[in-house]
This record gives sequence, C-alpha cells and structure tokens, in this order.
Amino acid sequence: MKLPKLKLERVLVVTGRDAVKISVLSIIIAFVVFSAFILFEGANPIDVYKCVFSYAFDPKTGLPTMIHRSTLLLFATLAFILPLKAGLWNVGMEGQLYLGTVGAFAVAYAYGDLPSTILIPLMLISAGIFGAVYGAFAGFLRGKFGVNEIVITLMLNNIAFWLLHALIMPPTGPWRGIAESQSRPLPVSAWAPTIWRLPFTVVLAPAISILLFFLFEKTRIGFQIKALGSSQPAAEHAGINPAKIAIFVMAVGGAIAGLSAYHMWAGDPSFRLIPRPDAYKGIGELTYWGIMVGLICLLNPLAAIPLSIFVGSLREGGTVIVRRYGLTYGLDRVFLGILFLSFIALQFFYRYKIVRKKKA
Amino acid sequence: MSVLSQKIIDLFGGRKEERSQLSEKFWANLKHGEVVLEARGITKKFPGGVVANDHIDLEIRAGEIHAILGENGAGKTTLMNILYGLLKPDEGEIYIRGKKVEFKSPLDAINLGIGMVHQHRKLIPAHTALENIILGHPKAGKIVDIEAAKKEVQELCDKYGFKIDLDAKVWQLSAGEQQSVEIVKALYRGAKLLILDEPTSVLTPIETERFLKSLRSMAGTEIAVIPFITHKLPEVLSVSDRVTILRKGKVVKRLETRKATMEALAKYMVGREVLFRVKKPKVKKGKEILRVENLSAISDRGFLALKGVTFSIREGEIFGIAGVSGNGQQELAEVLAGVRKASGGKVMFEGKDITHASPLERLKMGIGYIPSERVRVGSIPQFSLMENIALSLYFDREFSKWGLLDYKRIREHAEKVISEFEVMAPGIYTRAAHLSGGNLQRLILARTIPRTKKLLIANLPTQGLDVGATEFVRNKLLDCKKEGMGILLISEDLDEVLQVSDTIAPIYEGKFVDIIPAEKARKEIVGAMMTGARAK
Ligand SMILES: Nc1ncnc2c1ncn2[C@@H]1O[C@H](COP(=O)(O)OP(=O)(O)OP(=O)(O)O)[C@@H](O)[C@H]1O
Ligand SMILES: [Mg+2]
Repeated sequence: MKLPKLKLERVLVVTGRDAVKISVLSIIIAFVVFSAFILFEGANPIDVYKCVFSYAFDPKTGLPTMIHRSTLLLFATLAFILPLKAGLWNVGMEGQLYLGTVGAFAVAYAYGDLPSTILIPLMLISAGIFGAVYGAFAGFLRGKFGVNEIVITLMLNNIAFWLLHALIMPPTGPWRGIAESQSRPLPVSAWAPTIWRLPFTVVLAPAISILLFFLFEKTRIGFQIKALGSSQPAAEHAGINPAKIAIFVMAVGGAIAGLSAYHMWAGDPSFRLIPRPDAYKGIGELTYWGIMVGLICLLNPLAAIPLSIFVGSLREGGTVIVRRYGLTYGLDRVFLGILFLSFIALQFFYRYKIVRKKKA
Repeated sequence: MSVLSQKIIDLFGGRKEERSQLSEKFWANLKHGEVVLEARGITKKFPGGVVANDHIDLEIRAGEIHAILGENGAGKTTLMNILYGLLKPDEGEIYIRGKKVEFKSPLDAINLGIGMVHQHRKLIPAHTALENIILGHPKAGKIVDIEAAKKEVQELCDKYGFKIDLDAKVWQLSAGEQQSVEIVKALYRGAKLLILDEPTSVLTPIETERFLKSLRSMAGTEIAVIPFITHKLPEVLSVSDRVTILRKGKVVKRLETRKATMEALAKYMVGREVLFRVKKPKVKKGKEILRVENLSAISDRGFLALKGVTFSIREGEIFGIAGVSGNGQQELAEVLAGVRKASGGKVMFEGKDITHASPLERLKMGIGYIPSERVRVGSIPQFSLMENIALSLYFDREFSKWGLLDYKRIREHAEKVISEFEVMAPGIYTRAAHLSGGNLQRLILARTIPRTKKLLIANLPTQGLDVGATEFVRNKLLDCKKEGMGILLISEDLDEVLQVSDTIAPIYEGKFVDIIPAEKARKEIVGAMMTGARAK
C-alpha cells in the first residue's frame, strides 16, 4: 500500500478555532500517553481516569476543594498572563501570595473586631496592595534599569517565604499561635462568607478574567500593553513608555496574585490561619501551574477559566488515584508534565500544517 | 566560534560532500547564454483573495543580469520566494537546466546551487561576518577548519570585489557590508543562480556603485545568473541585460535593456506616465518652528555620531539633509523624535525647549516621525493594519475616551488613510506581516503623515517604493509644506533632496558641511560635499 505523501506548509493565519483545536488535541495526546504509564503500573487507564474525574466532580467528595484550588490556580494564571502580554515574565506568584497573606492577616489581626462587611474588603485591599508592591518593585527594576524580572521575582519569592516564616514561627514570631508552627487563627469576622460551601472569592477570579479580557480588547492601556509585548522598539517609537507599562502590568499582576491569599486562607474552612511553612510552601508551589495554564490558553484570560478547572480537577483527582491504585508517588504530576510537553510540541502546528501532497 | 554555531553546522552537516558534488555535477559545462532557469505558469494565491502571481513565465540565461520590475505588491518577492523554495506555487513548473524541479524547502534549492538575498536581511547580528557566511554550509564538514574556510571566503571576496571585515560582528557592519555578507554567503554555498530582492534599496550610492560592479563581475564569469529586483531604474539601465516587468501578478512586458528608456519602463510598471520631476509650489515661509542648536548624539556603537549641528526650520519649509547613511542623520532624526538622548545641545520647538521631552509629548505637539527601519520600529508585523494605524491614534482624545479606545472611529480613520495612501491589502484586518515591502512603507506613511500637524521628520521616506509611489510621496511632502508644516527630509537620493527641498544641508561625518538655499545649490557641489570631497 502506498502511503499518501505528506508535507509541511507554513500557516500564515491561525484562526481562533485552530487554536482551540490544538489545545484540545494536546490534552487528548496527554491522556493517551499517560495511559501507557498507567498500564505500566498495572492499572486500567479508563478506570483511573473515571476515578479522577468522578472524585474531582463529586459534590460529596472532591468538588468543593477542587473548585477552591482551581480558583487559586486561576488567580495565579491571570497574574501571569497580564505581564506576559507586555512581554514580562512574572514568575513571582508564589511570593505575591505570601505577601498578600501578610497584608490580609495584618489587617485581620489588627482590626479583628470590625464587622465582616468592613473587615473583609479591607483585607482584600491590603492583600492586593502588598502583592502589587512586590510586583511593582520587580516591574520598576526591569523598566528603569533593565534588570531581568524572572531573576528578581524568583529571588523575592524566597524573601517573601522567609518573611512569612519569621512572622509565624515561635518563639519570636508576632503571629505565632498555640499549636506548633502555625499562626493564630483568623477572627471569625474575617472568614469568607460561603455560598454552598464555597467562598465568594470563587466568583471574584472569573470576574477578573472578564475584566482582563475587556482590558485587552477595549482599553487604551490594553492596546499599549499588546503593542509593547509585540515589539518594544516599535512601541517606544509610538510614544509608549515601557517602564510605565512594566510597572503597571507587574503591579496589577502582583495584586491579583496577592488577592488569592485571602481566597486561600480565609476561604477554605480547613485553614483560616497560616499553616506550617511546609504546608504553605506546598500551596505556594501550586501557583507555578499558572504558568502552564497561561501558556496553554495562549494568554487568553477567558480560556483560562475552563483550563484552570481542568488542571485543578486533574490535580485533586490525581492525589486520590495515587492512593487508591497504589501508583508510584508523584505519578499524578507526571500527567501535567506530559500535557505541557505535548502542548509545546503542538505549538509547532501553529506555524506549520501537514497537508497531503497533490499529485503532480 | 561558539559551541552552538558548531552544533548548528554539525546538524546541517550530514551528507555534505555528496550534496555539494551534486551541485557541482549539475552545473558542469555551463555555456554563456544557455537557458538555466525556466518557470512556466507560476500561480500563487494568498488567503484574502490576493493573486500574487498569475501564470508567470520567466526565462533566465547564464551570465545575464535579469532585472525584474514591478509596482509595490506586483508579486516580485513572491515569485522569487517560489523559485527559492520558500513558497509552494499553486500551479506551474520550474525547470533548471531543462530538468524539472520541485523544491520542498530552501535547502533543496540551496543544494542545487540557488542562493537568495532577501528584501529584509536575515543575518545573526551577534555573530561575526565569517561565522554567518560559513554557518550551515555544505562544504563545512564535521570539523570546521576556520582558517581554511576564512582563506576561501577571502578569495571569494577578492574575486568579486567585496570588501568585508570578516572578523567584525554583523551588527557593527554597515548596511552595504551586511549586503555583501549575504551575497558571499550564498556564493560560498556554491550558488550558481543568485536571486537578489531589492539588494540596493538600503545601500548608499557609493556602496551601490561598488555593488553593481561586483554584480557585473559575477555575471562575467559563467557562474552567476541573476534575477535582480529593484525600484531604481537607473540601476536597471546601467547593469541589466534583460528586463521582465510584472503588474498585478502578471508579466506585462519582456524586453532587452538596451531598447529600454526610463520613461518606458516606468510606464509599463505603473500603467501611466510617470514624471520624474515634481513641481515645487511657491509657499511663503512662516515663523520658525524648529530650532536646533549645537546638537550632538552618540550612536548605538558608542561613538559620537552627531557632532554639533545647528539649523532651523520654518513653517512651509522643507529642509533637506543630503548624505550617505551612517553620517549621523539617523541619530539626528532619533533625537528629534525623542527616542534617543542628545549628548549635548538644544532642541527648541515653537520656542519651547523640548530637548528632554518624551516621544509621546512630541507626538502630541504635532511632531511626526517616519523612521527608516520599517519592520523593526516603523510597524508591528503581527498587528493588523488597523492596529498599526492605531499606534498613532491611541493617545488622541478624538479616538479614546475615559481610557477606552473608540474602535469605530479608529476603523473609519484607518479605512480612509489606507485608501488615500493606496496600501494594497485585502482589508484593514490583514496583518502587516503580509504586506509587500513597498506597501508596508505606504502603511507607515499612512499612519504618520495625516496625524502630523506641525513638523514632519521623514527619514528615507521613499525607500523601497516604486516609481509611482515615490512620486506620490514627494507630492505628499509638498502638500504638507503647502499646509504650512515644517519638514525635515533625510535622503540619500541627491535628486530627491534637490527636487523638493527649500534648503539643503549636506551632512558628512556628523556635521553639516554647509547650509544652502535651494536656488543656489548645484548638484555637483552638494554631491561632493556629502562625500567629504569638498568643504564649504
Ligand atoms: N504571506 C502573505 N499572505 C497574504 N498576502 C500576501 C503574503 N505575502 C504577500 N502577499 C500579498 O501578495 C502581493 C504581492 O506581494 P510581494 O511581496 O510579492 O510584492 P512585491 O512585488 O515584492 O512588492 P514590493 O516592491 O513592495 O516589495 C501583495 O499584495 C501582498 O500583500
Ligand atoms: Mg518585495
């Protein structure tokens, strides 16, 4: 049998539909490839996948946590997307989460007796400002002195970690609690009001998605951000000030990540305090998945919503299958790794497509 | 050489010997005048309904310089990209020395001895000239013997009269030297058929002269056959043997150069008479709008490129700076546009000191800037035409309120200027990357000129434009003048400067040699001044 001859052709315009196709395809490929891993471990892939999603979407088991963590991921994704539209890599969502924590808890401890309706907005504002200052600092160094923002944000992540550490650790941490290595609990008035076991902040993140979409499509600053991200020299010639934009995107990105601190600690009934350093570090590391989600959704803040839920459900469900099927520890993370790789491989098809060669 | 470039060479280095032998054998016994390339019925359509090539037949003989002419967007670059294997034709066949070929990629074309120098250069700036030349070369083998390679490259340069400092980094080279690097690179790869897409549009007159000489000497040996694209008709007349003229994707005329005149060529190209002169209107000069005092600036390479110039421009005046690129004009334009810091001196605009004003402040004051680098700074390739135009509108109250852009207004404005400046494209949502070189230049003009109220800084505004469009732009400059704008025109084309300017300043090594009113300017004298052969 003769195989049809294939050839590569450069694709000039990638339509939105193609982009969706490619993202979906990379997800399918990841499922297929991961099946091989599961088979190798001696389990049935179909059962495993069923288990993952039935756990993650079951209201009685994983659903509330899944939505909560997916929302955290969405905050992180949005905090990553905005600066990258202007060409800046914000990988400081972890540190921004910690600083947001400092901002929110400082308010809560100081004004714990205020009513919720005043205290909660104050905590959110303070968390946002702390995150924004972190981001703006990196944006300022990058914009004014050209210092690489990846290096700065990574370094600041460490500093933020130790700052939080110092605040909660005995014997001198001012926020230390009675239990070992945790902070004092939040006053009740600071707890996030819940709708069906979910904090109101799960609506806040998608609302920010919509705002960002609007920002990119309709506003002057959004236009400047896109121009700068596409070509710095051309943007400068058009009167766009790269330093100002850098500070703006990093500050707003930082504020978004900072807000997620309130969502995280005041929104999950099992916390309502700052947990042990290894536990909060574990949560902080979750924010790095925002980089992956942001890249796969091609910096589209609306596409980030379903994608965060998808990745969040894999993560929540993943922890269960490892236990239930006795899989090697960490195998659930492998899936996300494969997903990322297959996406990058498929990115290639944004520029090329395979076509059947016509008979001469 | 860096490890990385070594890697790249290895990567392409597979079956080198075989390949270069293939090309050697293929081109053996080439006779002068033999048909080496024949294209039949080449057709290419682009999405958006543009038929860039419409059943084009082309025939190229050994040893000839074959010029390809055509308006902006006529399909010249597209045709050359097809011959080079960068694009697949929808229809049509290509024969090389009578053998039918089908290129899957440029690599196939290179292996068969075809080389190309693109309209927009594609060298790696951080590498040396030599590295760029030998990178990925079939002869290079597994281990590159740098010294031997250098010797070979040097011989090639000497043979055809290219002067290149092989150890200099590409970013340090002038446009002309970079051009030579591209050509030597192609020759070094064993090119027998060299495709040159507007090789002279960024060259200085002297570089052009030297380049055309090299071109002749290449064509003199039996190896090089050259389809050569240009908009500069005198060049065509002076070096080419035959001419093929395209219009809207079709061949409209083939003729021998000795039977051609400039007027005839222009008429075939644009389909109407082109006057090679524009009429300078009499305009009464108004008050002084720009005053520059002892201005100096440092170039990207870190030396003092602009060494204290003093001049002033009045309303309704075109101040023409004539000079060979690299004598400080670029720096002067950038300082005036606010994208480069002055290292000394003062810029006064309408009596206000704007030496330290930001680019945005200047735009808002009504100062417009047409940069010479159209792809890097003049436009954003992935943006649509409308978005590119919006780059000159977004800050204006008229097009944006409460921080929101008024896309309806922007669209209307974009449609208006695109038709006014005759930017050929399927629509305002087409990406700038898909425009032909000359149409991109028109887009930049369409973006800038209608938004400029008081002072226009035009740096090589007609570069890469066809004769019709060049005439159009010169007339536009004169219209601006009639409206009372002050205009700073920077050009290498002495005729252009003399034709439209009211005042002429030849620039040499960062200084004005003199400032001469147009009626007193004599071409020979200004020409001598701008090459440093004559002082005031
Ligand atoms: N990748 C593309 N996608 C869509 N249209 C394209 C693409 N490339 C070229 N075109 C269109 O094809 C036409 C021919 O373009 P081409 O670049 O061949 O012109 P050209 O003769 O080289 O002009 P110039 O003198 O301005 O360089 C133009 O209308 C251009 O807009
Ligand atoms: Mg072209």
